[in-house]
Amino acid sequence: MKVDFWGQEFEVNMVVGCIGGFLIAVMSSMFGFGGGPFMVPLMTVALRLPMYLVVGSSLLAIFFSTSVSTVRHYQFGNFDLIFFLAMFPAALLGGYIGPQIAKRVSPLVVKRVACAGLLLLALNLLGLY
Amino acid sequence: MKKRVGILPWLFSAMVVLFGVHAGIAAEPVATAAAGQAAAGAMTAPTITIDKTELNNGGAIKVSGQAPAGKPVFLEVWAADHSVRANRFDSEKDKKTGIRPYIFYITSEMPAYYKTFVPKDLQPKIDAAKKEGKKWSYSALLKDLGADLAYSVPAKAKIDRYQSTLVASVVGSRGDLLPAMDEKENKSRSMQLVKARFQSIDKVVAAAVEVKPDGSYTADIKIRDGLAPGKYKIVAVVDKNVKSEAVTFENKIAFPTVYLENAGTSMNLIYPFVLTLVVAIFGVLMGAGGGFIMNPLLLALFPALPHTIVAGTVTPTVLFSQGSGIYNYSKIKFISWKLGTGIGCAMLLGAFIGPKLTEMITLDQFKFAFGWILIILAALMLWQTMPGYLAKNKKEQSILKEFKKRAEETAKGK
Repeated sequence: MKVDFWGQEFEVNMVVGCIGGFLIAVMSSMFGFGGGPFMVPLMTVALRLPMYLVVGSSLLAIFFSTSVSTVRHYQFGNFDLIFFLAMFPAALLGGYIGPQIAKRVSPLVVKRVACAGLLLLALNLLGLY
Repeated sequence: MKKRVGILPWLFSAMVVLFGVHAGIAAEPVATAAAGQAAAGAMTAPTITIDKTELNNGGAIKVSGQAPAGKPVFLEVWAADHSVRANRFDSEKDKKTGIRPYIFYITSEMPAYYKTFVPKDLQPKIDAAKKEGKKWSYSALLKDLGADLAYSVPAKAKIDRYQSTLVASVVGSRGDLLPAMDEKENKSRSMQLVKARFQSIDKVVAAAVEVKPDGSYTADIKIRDGLAPGKYKIVAVVDKNVKSEAVTFENKIAFPTVYLENAGTSMNLIYPFVLTLVVAIFGVLMGAGGGFIMNPLLLALFPALPHTIVAGTVTPTVLFSQGSGIYNYSKIKFISWKLGTGIGCAMLLGAFIGPKLTEMITLDQFKFAFGWILIILAALMLWQTMPGYLAKNKKEQSILKEFKKRAEETAKGK
């Protein structure tokens, strides 16, 4: 498939994109996260697309999967309204405060902290500590 | 692509076998009606009194009464006002036929709290069951303790069962609804659901009843915090059909502790609020939605929350931050609608199937799989901090900035 973006044309391998997207969607909807951190590497590394094309478009792609997964979770009775109402304003507030702090911290440090944090969480889930 | 879809449920079935619950179905002791009545005739029903009728988000209650001498006394305690959902996917090989049933059991009538208090001298048996780790069997434990005769409330819960098939899994449905089970089958399946719902031995049995030789008994029963509000009932049981009247106490909770109806637990709402705030800020800094940090954190910090509720409630929370992101990018026309929708359509299919898989796996499988996903994610993050990636990324980022600037200017110019 050919994609036009700001005057440049990109050839996208949709077979790889769709299979990868499908697997990411199953996984992310099953465990209840967005899937962005997997989608971006899929598009940049496997599909060899430039970052500036990926930032917006990957968001759109995962928006599809998150909305369907929301509906499905709701159908299966996995949605708790009060719990949601406790988290949702906090998420909005965080989305507002976040960008203001973002200018002052190095993304590299954040990523390293995140990396360590994720490992700790993973070990916790696997019951190793 | 259909083939890939088909493989997934089988993969998870394999996981169920590896890590799944060990559910030995204990043969229920069937007392004939005549024998039951004879016993009831021979024994007077125990009496029961409690020292208070109100608790504030858990606490201790002293139960006492008189039972026929020389008999163990079991206390059956349950939440009468609130019930929750419990489900279990049975893919364990049938011991007789060797066929995997792949049947999905679900009930919405499981009491939000259910616990049996047994005589104190049975503590060693409980400890022995704990040594089995996660493979403990609720029905075998009850039978071992002799408490199966006190098991009555969850047995009456209406359980639906669905025959899962490959085709059903592909289209993301639970499968065909099977005819209702008879009373005995319903009872033994309900025991498996009790375990699926309450997970640990400590939550369903405790040794607390002290029985004196003359048959009088006392028990200090502890009701943990974070439970459903409303009325709870206690019944003293000495034998099948020989039980006391139900006494009632009320568990009260006050704001900001609120009962989560679907999750079946009460929770101080301030905790998830603060947690989400921190995670959301961190997510922005990292350039990713916070969902994949939020879920494992919630699971680790609030073990009482079922994983299905966690996944199902965090998802819509993430949805809005994505929506606002898309809106911001679309304002400056920085989205390729063709590319996003193209891959998005494939993701629609995947997202249709995922939530069903969530409820088919147990909490332990959920944690196991999520643990590995996080390790992969951590590896991805680490790779993004490597010098090689950074050098490449710097170039990409500057191109990104330039294009974005151009886009913003164009948007403004219009």
